[in-house]
Amino acid sequence: MSDLTLITGLPEVKSAVLGDLAGTFFDAVEEQDGEGVCAVMGFLASLVTQVGNELGLGALERVSLSGAAEAHAVLLRGSSVIAARVERPGALAAVEKAWDDALQGRR
Amino acid sequence: MDTILQSLLDLPGVNATLVFDGDGQLLAHRGRAVYDRDLCQQVSGWLAKAVDAVQLQQGDWESMTAQFADGKLLLRSLGLSRDGKSHVLALVADAALNPSFATVAIRVAMAKLKKALDGGGAASSQNLGAPPAPQPAASSSVPPSDSRPVLANSGLSWSKISSTGLSRIAVADPASAAFLSSCAKELARYVGPIAKVYVEESVRRVSPENPFALAASRALVEDLAGQIEDVEDRLKFRETLAAGDRLRFRTLEKP
Repeated sequence: MSDLTLITGLPEVKSAVLGDLAGTFFDAVEEQDGEGVCAVMGFLASLVTQVGNELGLGALERVSLSGAAEAHAVLLRGSSVIAARVERPGALAAVEKAWDDALQGRR
Repeated sequence: MDTILQSLLDLPGVNATLVFDGDGQLLAHRGRAVYDRDLCQQVSGWLAKAVDAVQLQQGDWESMTAQFADGKLLLRSLGLSRDGKSHVLALVADAALNPSFATVAIRVAMAKLKKALDGGGAASSQNLGAPPAPQPAASSSVPPSDSRPVLANSGLSWSKISSTGLSRIAVADPASAAFLSSCAKELARYVGPIAKVYVEESVRRVSPENPFALAASRALVEDLAGQIEDVEDRLKFRETLAAGDRLRFRTLEKP
């Protein structure tokens, strides 16, 4: 099962895109503007990676964005970036946990 | 502001706290020796760019948490202060951070920081070495900011629009704000995240002097449609917004 299929299989996830740190678009599920989302999230992830390096925090694993109405989870695996749009901000933790569990299961 | 940041730094696991504005200018910071002012200033610049990117995707963002192998970076939006500038609180933490304790402490600190920023009590980066000054706004009757954008020059303000990130334009009422949100979302289907910028520019064209009102909605839709290259897409965009327009007027006509 691919990472994108895995993440979009979660009921809380409305849409998701797969790209890389350079903002390159690879694939999308239920997202009409996959290229735009990949560009923004790739840029965001690369900037936060840069910040983490400078602050000595090690490799970036994920970024969670939360607002009043919706949330996003940006998940990194190597140079791949998955950005998932989550229906309710409260469901963000469940998505992150499912992602962590899935990764641990593969290790 | 130093006192507030120091209270966060006292939390187990927190190694640095900083406040920066939308231009990436460091306003205040507290941290362990390694997190000096130069480093915090540099990081503020990068984080301000990251926040700009976040605004494109999620205009209503309130919090951002970056999980690293050896620690965490937490960002919290402090909204806009009276001078129209956005501000962000950032915390650099290691694995010893207790998220539950931190959440409460951060909320308290955010409320105090908003008061300080609104009341002009923000310490500049120049006086960080000075002893903590009293926070005039914290003890005054000025209410805390509710993150509602306020136009610095005209004094006009609007609500219900932060979700689109359209923070530099004025609207006449909440219905107009909601309409702009719909326009931005619909246009984004065809042009991507730049849609919000197009809506801002278009509002300035169709309503250059007055706050945007629904009376100018059709002119706005026509103007925005010009940004869509594909003829069929342009038609769909017009139809979708026209349908919303009819529904809105029917709702208004109901007794």
